[in-house]
Amino acid sequence: MSKIIGAVEIGTSQAKALIGEVAENGSLNVVGMASRPNEGMRKGEIVDFRKAAAAVHSALEDAEKMSGTTVDEVYLAQTGSHLKGLMLRGAASVASSDNRVDVTDLQRAAQEAKRKQPDEGRTYVHHVRTPILLDGRPVQDPVGMIGAKVDLGYWSIDGDDQAIKQALHVISNYSLEVKDLILSSIASSTMMAGPDLRRAGTLVIDMGAGVTDYALYRQGFVVSTGVVPVGGDHVTGDLSMGLRVLEPYAEKLKLEHGKAVPDPMDEGEDVWIIGNKTIGDRAIPRKAITDVIHVRIVELFEIISKELEGLLDPDELKGGILLTGGGSLLPGVEQIASKILGFSARRASFPSGIASELAQPENATVLGLLHYGLEDHGLPGRKKEEPEAGFIDKFRKMVGLGSPS
Amino acid sequence: MTKKKKTNQDGVSGNWKTLAPKSSRRPASKAAFRKRMLGVGKFLILIIGLAAVGSVFWFFQNRSQSDSPPMDLTGPGAPVSSLSFRTNGVLHKRWFENWFGPLRGRSLMELDIEKIQSELIKEPQISFARVCRQFPATLKIELRERKPLLRICLRSKSKGEQTWLVSNDGTLYLGTCYSNASVSHLPFLSIKSQLLKPKSSGEWYEKLEGIPAVAPLLELARSEYPGFYQNWQIVSYQRPYDDDAGAHIHIKSGKVRSLRFSPRNFDAQLRRLKYLLYEPDFQRTKIVDSIDLSHDKSVFAKLTPS
Repeated sequence: MSKIIGAVEIGTSQAKALIGEVAENGSLNVVGMASRPNEGMRKGEIVDFRKAAAAVHSALEDAEKMSGTTVDEVYLAQTGSHLKGLMLRGAASVASSDNRVDVTDLQRAAQEAKRKQPDEGRTYVHHVRTPILLDGRPVQDPVGMIGAKVDLGYWSIDGDDQAIKQALHVISNYSLEVKDLILSSIASSTMMAGPDLRRAGTLVIDMGAGVTDYALYRQGFVVSTGVVPVGGDHVTGDLSMGLRVLEPYAEKLKLEHGKAVPDPMDEGEDVWIIGNKTIGDRAIPRKAITDVIHVRIVELFEIISKELEGLLDPDELKGGILLTGGGSLLPGVEQIASKILGFSARRASFPSGIASELAQPENATVLGLLHYGLEDHGLPGRKKEEPEAGFIDKFRKMVGLGSPS
Repeated sequence: MTKKKKTNQDGVSGNWKTLAPKSSRRPASKAAFRKRMLGVGKFLILIIGLAAVGSVFWFFQNRSQSDSPPMDLTGPGAPVSSLSFRTNGVLHKRWFENWFGPLRGRSLMELDIEKIQSELIKEPQISFARVCRQFPATLKIELRERKPLLRICLRSKSKGEQTWLVSNDGTLYLGTCYSNASVSHLPFLSIKSQLLKPKSSGEWYEKLEGIPAVAPLLELARSEYPGFYQNWQIVSYQRPYDDDAGAHIHIKSGKVRSLRFSPRNFDAQLRRLKYLLYEPDFQRTKIVDSIDLSHDKSVFAKLTPS
């Protein structure tokens, strides 16, 4: 019997909901998707609960209508400048007399790694496993191998309790449960960077409206993630202030005439703000628009470069830089990324098999949520746990009473 | 300096699941409100559906318990193809078919054999009935009928004069399927009308008291002394019980106008009567006025002067 799962991204400009059907053979079919403008967020954080909830709920409702089904639990994307990553490491001696590694050894190492507590008022959102070391050698699956000590690492992202609670409450208020929280950058990386690219080493930058998320991969594992509180909305704000135009017009100018790199062809060319030459409409030099955008985009990549200082090793980043998210549609953004970060950058493309209407850079996160959620990220040798919902839980879901957990 | 959080039971600290709201509060959007209403609607539909199913079940269970035939769990079954009919009397298969109605097209399992059996036993001519199904499609009827011992003519306003038969246990019934020859030799019973007690239904009569005391005499005479019995015409009894000192049975017959028996030791009384009637004096006499056999070994006879 197929299973229905959902994914929700509470983005700064749009709330997106996606409903997928997982067939018995494990294949995923997207059966419903909807997005609604979200006015309740700033820089990836909820500032107006009711507005954010209204946008998310409407998107979920539309997606449910489109799919003709209802969803009980969703994967929720997490972003925002409150999220901080930290590498946690744990080790365990192999317990068996013949020095063969058992699943329990890995579990002890994992427990040891996750033992470190976040600061007061903060909670772990996501633990991403890094390579397992058996006596210092990286191994894929050490279970059954002979060794003395296993080392395990987790790139662990913790966030502010209040911000996480707000996001969880938005979902529970729609009588749904959150199956898992997934970092936005990891979700979009899962979608846009295939396993080969991740093994070769790649930096995925998701340029959103409120924030820019990035995830750095080496040898197929996450090395670092981050959230830069700069996004497309800041570019719009800069245009609004710099050119003295209202934000809707600034957004229009950005989308229609915006470029990240100054173009000599634009010299002397003017564009009209509104376009119909009515009262208030005026002409603006196109070069001015590009200059304003360029400054902000350069600043963004400089921040990323600074945050990843020392991690960008050419030998470990053969896959280059992948740009995704709505901001990546800005012409010339790849050139700036290449120039500042020192690696070849390109706009990421979706793998084949995804419908063209879904295969848009701004959908990378929400599509990636479903794919990441379906993958098994547990320890080697352990089956993915699928808790069976009891009658009371099913009944509670049906009447919309929420979850006791 | 920042404080540290406590670890949970697994030793893993800071799980976001602990932050999930315990219960949903007021819906924050119209969509959430609609979703909850939909949930409540589904719940109500479920309750109504369950109630409807329960009501239907209750209705059918009540109906099956009150007046419907036994529940057939085996399907309609094969139609009745034959009727096995056995009786010790005069009733026959065709009578049953008329009495019951057409069997054609009805399956064996459709028939309520217990009801048929009880209805048959209600017939006064039938003293015992057994109805059973015989695989694969035979209805088996076994009857034991009452044997008529006497007959009695009764007149009613609605039905006029009718001849009823009386069995040895005193049951009165309008005999069915009897040939004239088989009932014409039966002696008539003469009793006072007060002894006839109609049943509450008004259709039948209660059993006649005293007949069981008279019956052995008649049965004995019919089997052992048919010559006497065929001349007996009217039998009356007023005090037939042997614990009564003055008990006697009064019979009128062709040659002896009045025979009087005591209600005990009929065999001896009939032997005496036979002996007496073979006496030359009695043989010569065409009509005997009376013979009283009720006084033990003493016989009182009154001959009509020729």
